[in-house]
Amino acid sequence: MADMAEAIESAEISHEAAANDRVMFGFWVYLMTDLLMFAVLFAVYAVLHGNTAGGPGGKELFSQQQALAETLLLLTSSFTCGLGMIAARRGNKSQVLVWFGLTFLLGLAFLGLELREFAEFVREGHTFSANAFMSSFFALVGTHGLHITSGLLWMTITLIYVLKRGLNKHLVRKLALLSLFWHFLDIVWIFIFTIVYLMAFV
Amino acid sequence: MNEKSPITTTPPKEHRTTGSYVTGFLLSLIFTAIPYYMVVHKTVSGSALLATILLFAVLQMLIQIFFFLHLGRGPKPLYNVIFFVSTVGIILVVVLGSMFIMKNLHYNMSPESTTTKLAQDEGIDQVGGEKTGACSDIGVNHKVIIKNNIASPAHTDAKLCDTLTFINEDDRVREIAFGKHPAHEAYGGELELSVRKGYPKTITLNQTGAQLFFHDHLDPTANGGFSVIK
Amino acid sequence: MKEFLIGKLTLESLPHEWFTIGGSAFFGLLTVALIVLLTVTKRWKWLWKEWLTSVDPKKIGIMYFIVAGFMLIARGGLEALMMWLQQALGASDMPGALGAAHGYLSADHFQQIFTAHGNIMVFFVAMGFIFGLINYIVPLQIGARDLASPFLNTLGFWLYVAGVVMVNMFFFFGGQYAATGWLAVAPLSGTQFSPGVGMDYWIWSLQISGIGTTLGAINFIMTILKMRAPGMTLWKMPAFTWGSLCSMIMAVTVFPLLTATIFLIFFDRYFGTHFFTTTLGGDPMMYTNLIWMWGHPEVYILVLPAYGVFSEIVSTFSRKRLASPISNIIGMIGVALFALSVWLHHFFTMGAGADVNAFFGVMTMIIAIPTTVLVFTWIATMYKGRIRFTTPMLWFLGFIAVFTTGGITGVMLAVPPADFQFHNSLFLVAHFHSNVIGGVLFGVFAGISYWFPKLAGFRLNERIGKYAFWCWMIGFSLSFIPMYIVGLMGATRRLDTYDAATGWQPFYVLMLIGGIIIAVGVALQLVQIIASIIEKRRLRDVTGDPWDGRSLEWATASAPAPYNFTTIPRVTTRDAFWQMKQQGLAKPKYEDILMPKNTASGIYISIFAFLMGFGFVWHITWLAVVSIIGIIVCAITRTFNEHTEMTIPAAEVEKQEAVRLKRLQDEHDSAPGKPAAADMADDMGLREFIKIVAVWAWNVVRNRQWRTWQKR
Repeated sequence: MADMAEAIESAEISHEAAANDRVMFGFWVYLMTDLLMFAVLFAVYAVLHGNTAGGPGGKELFSQQQALAETLLLLTSSFTCGLGMIAARRGNKSQVLVWFGLTFLLGLAFLGLELREFAEFVREGHTFSANAFMSSFFALVGTHGLHITSGLLWMTITLIYVLKRGLNKHLVRKLALLSLFWHFLDIVWIFIFTIVYLMAFV
Repeated sequence: MNEKSPITTTPPKEHRTTGSYVTGFLLSLIFTAIPYYMVVHKTVSGSALLATILLFAVLQMLIQIFFFLHLGRGPKPLYNVIFFVSTVGIILVVVLGSMFIMKNLHYNMSPESTTTKLAQDEGIDQVGGEKTGACSDIGVNHKVIIKNNIASPAHTDAKLCDTLTFINEDDRVREIAFGKHPAHEAYGGELELSVRKGYPKTITLNQTGAQLFFHDHLDPTANGGFSVIK
Repeated sequence: MKEFLIGKLTLESLPHEWFTIGGSAFFGLLTVALIVLLTVTKRWKWLWKEWLTSVDPKKIGIMYFIVAGFMLIARGGLEALMMWLQQALGASDMPGALGAAHGYLSADHFQQIFTAHGNIMVFFVAMGFIFGLINYIVPLQIGARDLASPFLNTLGFWLYVAGVVMVNMFFFFGGQYAATGWLAVAPLSGTQFSPGVGMDYWIWSLQISGIGTTLGAINFIMTILKMRAPGMTLWKMPAFTWGSLCSMIMAVTVFPLLTATIFLIFFDRYFGTHFFTTTLGGDPMMYTNLIWMWGHPEVYILVLPAYGVFSEIVSTFSRKRLASPISNIIGMIGVALFALSVWLHHFFTMGAGADVNAFFGVMTMIIAIPTTVLVFTWIATMYKGRIRFTTPMLWFLGFIAVFTTGGITGVMLAVPPADFQFHNSLFLVAHFHSNVIGGVLFGVFAGISYWFPKLAGFRLNERIGKYAFWCWMIGFSLSFIPMYIVGLMGATRRLDTYDAATGWQPFYVLMLIGGIIIAVGVALQLVQIIASIIEKRRLRDVTGDPWDGRSLEWATASAPAPYNFTTIPRVTTRDAFWQMKQQGLAKPKYEDILMPKNTASGIYISIFAFLMGFGFVWHITWLAVVSIIGIIVCAITRTFNEHTEMTIPAAEVEKQEAVRLKRLQDEHDSAPGKPAAADMADDMGLREFIKIVAVWAWNVVRNRQWRTWQKR
């Protein structure tokens, strides 16, 4: 009887492990498709960023310090997210809430700075529809910002469920997927920082 | 060929140590700071700087891929790695391919280029019996040196199909535009010439004009004139 | 206030032209008839539980077939006939009617028709059939019970349906579809030159179904890479699974490019951005570049599963193993690899210059090589085989003839200086139709007739099937061979009228006749299905292996149980089932089976997606915003649901198997003759079919039999 229970349990575990592995892999493939969407936006930016139709370009509009601040905020949030995952795998609910809470705040600060930058551009008349450069800037950076926003929403809901249901295996998997997503967003940001913000000053 | 079963387990816990994340974080900080300071202080310039910051971006991506995402440290088969590497390849095709194609398209198809500049570059000096204005026989070369915000000579007299070279001996980049400031006119297929120290630019004087002007768009006090007669 | 509530909708948006009235009446009546039928037979609950909310890939596969088949006949095929007719009547010395200068379709209407024809055939017919085949067959071939994510499967299907509904929506609201060509090239597709809603319908029908395709492709890749039966290495997978894997990897690669590009043209139209405009820095040529980066790999996405189907068919009906399975696999991988390096050949004439054109021309010629490897592998398989000329085998042979023509003309087109003559002529149109019809569509027909016994439990009527095939072959040849010729004579594509002095009209008339013959072929295919249902007892497939197949799907019952296999087989070789048959099939051991529960989340999310698209089309902002929130809420509810599976206990499995076997035994005992080996020569012919249908219809009407059609 005990043997059978053990056999069933190990069959369940390996089914669960296989399912986990599948989901992580499937999400990874989805992240690759997301990367490819960004590739189009990068290609469009590369081709159109010089077309300001006489208006100001990146050199005139961007603030180097702000871009650095945003980068550091997001990078740190990626770090705290990783620490949160370690806590999740150890089953430590309070640490999970602390680290992911910190990730959320840092991400929110990033978003705040970005929205402030966008608002400033819009106020000065450099809107989404001003010229090809602004269109491709907002499309690329804005899409990244939208992803960050979805990530923050996802984080909020997951943490609420962690509070309500406790840290069960299902939620640990959710957090693992979320942290994949969050790390990936930081990696995309590396290239936005380099190609949009730094390259404007080269 | 050596996979026994496609069922795999989650990676063992050793891969996800705090140390991995700390290392990744510190390295990423360094790899962010270096290109940032290089751009702000312009330690290198031009395409060398561009290549360097791109290289740092790629390196930082690899750092985060390895230390944050633990790619490559899972159980085999390493589908994740294969998908990632091929995605990177395709991104290169999409971005670089588009840039290559669009650059060629713009060269051949943009309105300014199709007449004077293209004809000049390709050496086509007549189409359908009509002269394009492109010069097949180049005349004399004239030089204009800009130093301490002064262009000398202030005025150049030249003949059609001579060449004019702008030499910048100041440390800042100059963007030479034609016409009198604040007007911007095109001349010889060029709207603006970026001239930096050590890298002079030459244009062919393929349009006649008695009173032609140029100025540095970034600092219009540096300006001058020229005339082109047949 | 009114503008806030209903955006740009006005009374003018409602149908008021002959074709919008006709179209909305047709769809409206069809919907009403369906509702009446379901109500009278009390099958609403059954439909919801058994089909619409099902996550079983077999059911979803069949639903894909039904929707794709419907779109083939009611929209894509009808549009083709309309175009053939217009072109046959469109010479400059012919009279005009219904607002057209010559023929019966006005220029703008004709432009909308060829745009819709292309969109529907590629996105909703071809992709639908392919997804149906992969859904049904791949899990069976790899020994899996389901796809990796049943939820993504149903979501992908319903997003596809939302796209189908969207592409038909203009009949009811708006009265116009995009008139830009199937890829809606900028700047014609921008607000300045396409100010109406037609282009917005284009955007949202493709965007919604495109996202469904991407999700489906991720699902298929997860399944094939992670859920194969133990012992089945990648190299031991059957050819159709390989074709599907290569195709779906390409889909996952290039559909995101389409999604991004469509978002950009949407931004241009909705927010006034300048990606592809002619002013303020926009670059229309970038659109062409991006859209073909998707567009070219798309055609390989469509054809690779067809290559897989043909590999299976040629080996089964030559009674031989595939001549070189490794060459087969390498050929498919080769096509997939090179597909991403040729896209510029669609716009050689846009002006990139000799350097660029030379590179892409050479790459295009190279991509002919892997396909040729495949064709030679198939022919080598036939060599010294014992060939059975069943309908699937006929479709394969037809494919060889037609697709090869397409391929050869493709190599001609790949030469950039030659292409300056061929580009956008009817020569081009004949080329790609040879490939798409000869390759993809024939592949779909071959696949459906090959696997039909597995799907339905009885095989298709071979006699009428052969008539249908020959109608298609003759009709296709009559329609497209003249098209090559008149294309070389200078006829360009997308012409609604032309100068009578060109002498092209006789060719167009020939094409119309060919088209009518194809339409007869399609009708015969429908007749074939009905005739098979009538004779289904006689045609029943008892063993599950009617063709003496080689791969695992033939090891299941026809039609398979919901869980596919009672126990997951252990695989040791390629052609796994063949091996099992040689060694003797093992006795089944019953165990508990974990299955996913049905879910309506896919339907709800897709309804919201549709409403969001509709809101954007008509600038009804509140609708779009509310729908986006709806999508998010539904998605969150579903993904945080921890109870999505159920267990079928082993005892229940044993019981179901016993019931199934007994039912088959009873039928076998009650019917005379040997159903397992029903002779194809005895299949019902056309005259007999007409007689049977007429008698049945008369009986139904006379005895009011519809009252007895309730759910048993």
